[in-house]
Amino acid sequence: MKRKPVIIDCDPGHDDAIALLVAFASEKLNVKAVTTVAGNQTIEKTFNNALKVLSFAGINTIVSKGASKPLLRDLITAPEVHGESGLDGPDLPTPTLKPSDKNAVETIIEIVNESEEKIILIPTGPLTNIATVLLSAPELKTKIERIVLMGGSMIGGNWTPAAEFNIVVDPEAANIVFNSGIPLTMCGLDVTHKAQIYREEIEEIRNIGNKVAIMVAELLDFYGKFYERFGFKGFPLHDPVAVAYVIDSTLITTKPCHVDIETRGEFTSGCTVVDYYDVLKKSKNVDVALDIDRERFIKMLYDAIKKYN
Amino acid sequence: MKKPVIIDCDPGIDDAIALFMAFATEKLDVRAITTVAGNVNLEKTSKNALKLAEYAGYSVKVARGASKPITRELVTAEFIHGESGLGNMVFPEPTERFYHKNAYDTIYEEAINCENKLHIIALGPLTNIAITLLKYPDIKKKLNHITVMGGSTELGNHTPAAEFNIYVDPEAAKIVFESGVPITMVGLNVTSKAYATEEDLKEILSYNNKPSEFVAKSLMPLLDFFEKLDFGGVPLHDPAAMAAVIDESLLKTKLLHVDIETRGDVTRGKTVVDVYGVTGKRPNVNVAFNIDREKFINLLKGLMKKYGI
Repeated sequence: MKRKPVIIDCDPGHDDAIALLVAFASEKLNVKAVTTVAGNQTIEKTFNNALKVLSFAGINTIVSKGASKPLLRDLITAPEVHGESGLDGPDLPTPTLKPSDKNAVETIIEIVNESEEKIILIPTGPLTNIATVLLSAPELKTKIERIVLMGGSMIGGNWTPAAEFNIVVDPEAANIVFNSGIPLTMCGLDVTHKAQIYREEIEEIRNIGNKVAIMVAELLDFYGKFYERFGFKGFPLHDPVAVAYVIDSTLITTKPCHVDIETRGEFTSGCTVVDYYDVLKKSKNVDVALDIDRERFIKMLYDAIKKYN
Repeated sequence: MKKPVIIDCDPGIDDAIALFMAFATEKLDVRAITTVAGNVNLEKTSKNALKLAEYAGYSVKVARGASKPITRELVTAEFIHGESGLGNMVFPEPTERFYHKNAYDTIYEEAINCENKLHIIALGPLTNIAITLLKYPDIKKKLNHITVMGGSTELGNHTPAAEFNIYVDPEAAKIVFESGVPITMVGLNVTSKAYATEEDLKEILSYNNKPSEFVAKSLMPLLDFFEKLDFGGVPLHDPAAMAAVIDESLLKTKLLHVDIETRGDVTRGKTVVDVYGVTGKRPNVNVAFNIDREKFINLLKGLMKKYGI
């Protein structure tokens, strides 16, 4: 069976780290590279965290460092969620994996250019790197199969009442990506808040017993503290949803809609304005993910982690 | 004891139904109706208010307010409410005159007369209420409550981000929402749950009085449209707000911070509701999240029966 060629652009980040582990464990994917962006933490930290997690799990791949700040704005980070390191919780050793000497944008352009098959991009952080790729190499658009991103929300944000973190950090980049004409799947809070892991399931993961499983459980122990205030039953696994969709699209229900990105609002900057009822009669530029089979999603996570035995 | 209210409205089909409810109930003392431009222009909304009161045999002051939003051009909705604002139903020309004071002076006069007990039910754009607050800042301490039909915690209707009443005059909404007067927001997220089914409308039609005929015949043509959008029936926006004032036990609300977006590119008039308390700002609005539909529809039916069976 042919593996789908993907590049994961991320800002680890607890849920980014878990998304990486799920992606590399999957027989459905061929992860060509991991590129990093500033978001959950500064670029030095997210880059180092990617190297740490991949090294710890024994994964060998291309890892490139990307943008240190959004296209036009100052960087916002999320230490409240991910801690000072961006990956607080487990104590991980110094990475052994050597990074690429090319930056994230160069790496993405090179891989997409040289690939015979179209590439799927999976951004799980702010869209700065992806927007820069599209600005600097617009001819590549036809060689990108689809962009499956974690970000945005149809109903309500998390960082502000109107906006989800990844989009509010770099709304201008999101605007470029959403208007690129490339097929786009938006895994926003509407679906990721349904992709929750419960406490007893974290214990299941810990009991798998391998070192990656224990790391994942420790990541979730820390990450869960932030979500207690939302009054959820569990903790939303945002970024793994985007990877899960590429592995098995039957897990997730989507609806094609027109989506605009607010870049100027006083209270709504970074809001992904989803025209669910088609009142604008504009072209549908985004497949908006709305629901997920949570049980199967969690099983996919267990199965992935067991592969690291 | 009857609750003293002023109904500020832009009739409007659903405004008309709300007014018929107010004229029939024994729970309210309708001190005045004030009119605003919105669903149709001010001349029409004002005349419609007079017609409806006379038609129901209800003697009440009708005072005219703003012909356009505070800073913007007027947007109207004839495509929903018809050229006259009252659909296809023809009411006799009014013989009564408008009250000699304008809406702002009337609202202030009644606030004083009612000794801190006046409740405003705002069913249109908030222009009149905002101008009253600007002209008479001391009224803030003299009002008991403002119940607003407008906004949404979820999706809009006039645009994907905004509900019609707030979209038409976002600056007025901002003034009202920031005024410090206790506010209940009955938005689309809850009025979509206050729907009438085909059976409900048939029953109301069978009452065989003219107000009931108006309710049934104006709403029946909309059943198909809302069925296609997966609604349970036709949402009764203004009647839901009216019902919530008549019987406060109908609504489930949460006290939250709400901002009004006045500057966005694609989010003009969005009510930004801080559901998770991420802004840390002071809660200023009782946001309605649920309504007891059975009780609501029974209240409506009971009031329509009062016009004779």
